[in-house]
Amino acid sequence: MFRGDPNHSGLYSGPEPRQFHRVKWKFPTGNRIVSSPVIQGKTIYFGSDDANIYAVDAESGRQIWKYATKGAVSSTPAVANGVVYATSYDGKLYALNSETGATKWKFATEGERRFEAKGLHGMQPRNQTIADPFDIYLSSPVVVQNTVYFGSGDGNLYAVDAVSGELKWKFKTGDVIHASPAFSDGLIYFGSWDSCFYAVDAANGKERWRFHGGEDPLVHNQVGFQSSPAVVGGVVYTGCRDSNVYALDAATGKEKWRCNNEMSWVNSSPAVVQGKVFFATSDSSLFRIVDAATGKELVKQQDKAYIFSSPAVVGNTVLIGVLNGTLEARDAKTGDLLWDYEVEKSKQNKGWILTADRKFNMPLLFPSGLDETTIAGTVREDGIGSVYSSPLAANGIVYFGSADGFLYALE
Amino acid sequence: MKQSILGLAATAILLASATVCRSEESASGRWEGSVQIPDRELTLIVDLAQTKNGAWTGSVIIPGFDVKGKAVNDLAVKGSEVSFAIATGRGLQAVLKGHIAADGTLAGEFAQAGNTARFVLKKTGPPQVELPLRSTAVSKEIEGQWKGQYELSGYPRKVTIKVVNRGSEGAAADFVVVGRKTTTLPVDLVRQEGTLLTIDSYETGISYEGRFNPESGEIKGTFNQGAIEIPLVLQRAK
Repeated sequence: MFRGDPNHSGLYSGPEPRQFHRVKWKFPTGNRIVSSPVIQGKTIYFGSDDANIYAVDAESGRQIWKYATKGAVSSTPAVANGVVYATSYDGKLYALNSETGATKWKFATEGERRFEAKGLHGMQPRNQTIADPFDIYLSSPVVVQNTVYFGSGDGNLYAVDAVSGELKWKFKTGDVIHASPAFSDGLIYFGSWDSCFYAVDAANGKERWRFHGGEDPLVHNQVGFQSSPAVVGGVVYTGCRDSNVYALDAATGKEKWRCNNEMSWVNSSPAVVQGKVFFATSDSSLFRIVDAATGKELVKQQDKAYIFSSPAVVGNTVLIGVLNGTLEARDAKTGDLLWDYEVEKSKQNKGWILTADRKFNMPLLFPSGLDETTIAGTVREDGIGSVYSSPLAANGIVYFGSADGFLYALE
Repeated sequence: MKQSILGLAATAILLASATVCRSEESASGRWEGSVQIPDRELTLIVDLAQTKNGAWTGSVIIPGFDVKGKAVNDLAVKGSEVSFAIATGRGLQAVLKGHIAADGTLAGEFAQAGNTARFVLKKTGPPQVELPLRSTAVSKEIEGQWKGQYELSGYPRKVTIKVVNRGSEGAAADFVVVGRKTTTLPVDLVRQEGTLLTIDSYETGISYEGRFNPESGEIKGTFNQGAIEIPLVLQRAK
């Protein structure tokens, strides 16, 4: 499942990919991939914005099956007890046989939508309600004790029976939930775009506590939880669009510390391994490691472009995707770059979306403040193969998706 | 002398046919490259393969266009000449005519909406042709005629669906919607998975999906057109 386990630690096992040798294979789909690959046995599962859920042989990169939904599958599948669960922009949660892709059941929410607001991010026209083109991901399901938990653009956090697809309970928040819920010690943890972070009882959906993040009534830029939480050692770690990473007491919701990122979104979901919190930022393009107990800075590395992807930690190596079309491997102690892989579209840099040193070329990416221009800018971003997907490391191979439409396997 | 001429001719024929065979073999594979539309390069991946009976089959992938494993039409491989057509669900219709060159590239002309652009593809591996989904047989409980009604924009629409098995070809369906006019939908796919019945009309983008309930004898599901989903319960026609 997303982030490797129900509590979203971001920790992966197996040989460390300390060096890059070659592209083992690449698998094309019909549209961008923002979903993160997961592995079960010898099969990789992931979604594509071409509306399909895919099962691909991890060794050969050959398709085993695909299943067509009616909307972009911008979520990461969860696999449990021979069933693949994934959400789609058609507003449904799908349960499929993991071997054949046959439909087990579908569960319909009240419908998907992106976060939206008037004058969003300062875009013109000011009085126009604008859907957020940076609300990229759908909530990815987590499966625990025969229950599937996931959020929806309809503002609900759903608990659905994993076998029958029947609704167990739903919990209403004030806005879109596209963060992926984490499970720990009988509680479900998730953030919403209503600026609140919630802990609810996994058994009945009763609220235990809520925590208020920042507000931004003027341009709605510095608000909402797009990042998904990690719950480790009784502490919840989550990024927020208000530019903070928060550490909250898992039992009470009381703030333990916050780490500010100078007006830059933290859409990346933190990885928490061996007392360290690994995360990255959007506009300030930082790769950071802080002490899990105190929030004290351990490493701050300047990256080249926005990061939405969430870090995967394998031993002493951290893998992360960058929106300039690059997959990076960094040292978990120093944050130093070990190697990177640039997809072909990024190398081509058509339309000079990137500068010569691989940063975003802002005047050519977003040439005006009109909402159409911003939306077109995100499409241009996709054109250089942005890596929104969070990497998976398994058996020494690194798997990730790109906005160029390919799933890559690197060794 | 006559024998020598005949021998030379036979050798030439053999060489020519061998050349043709090599060329046809060389069309088989996964081809990756692009269509060089001005200011908009189109990534194109084409899988071409020859079946046991010698017929050619192929499918295409176009990242960014929701096209993955779509079967090509009118595929012809004659020596080193390759041509086929693409028709996607969103109305992209294109004809590609190309030539396999000595350097192994498959290059030629991509024609769409009266425009033409050059395409260049390189072979990257063995073919991974995707076969289109085929209709399955349906159970006796599903076979037969069903009727139901839904409402769209304040107008009632009556639906009649007749499902019949066709032996090894799986099931077929007649799908008729009667509103202010009568529309017979072209049905491409009928599938039953457990109690779940799906009927797809690719050209219209309309589908019906419903679950058979053995207790009530109904099929409860939805009439789907794009993002629109309308509940539609089918009951066996009397």
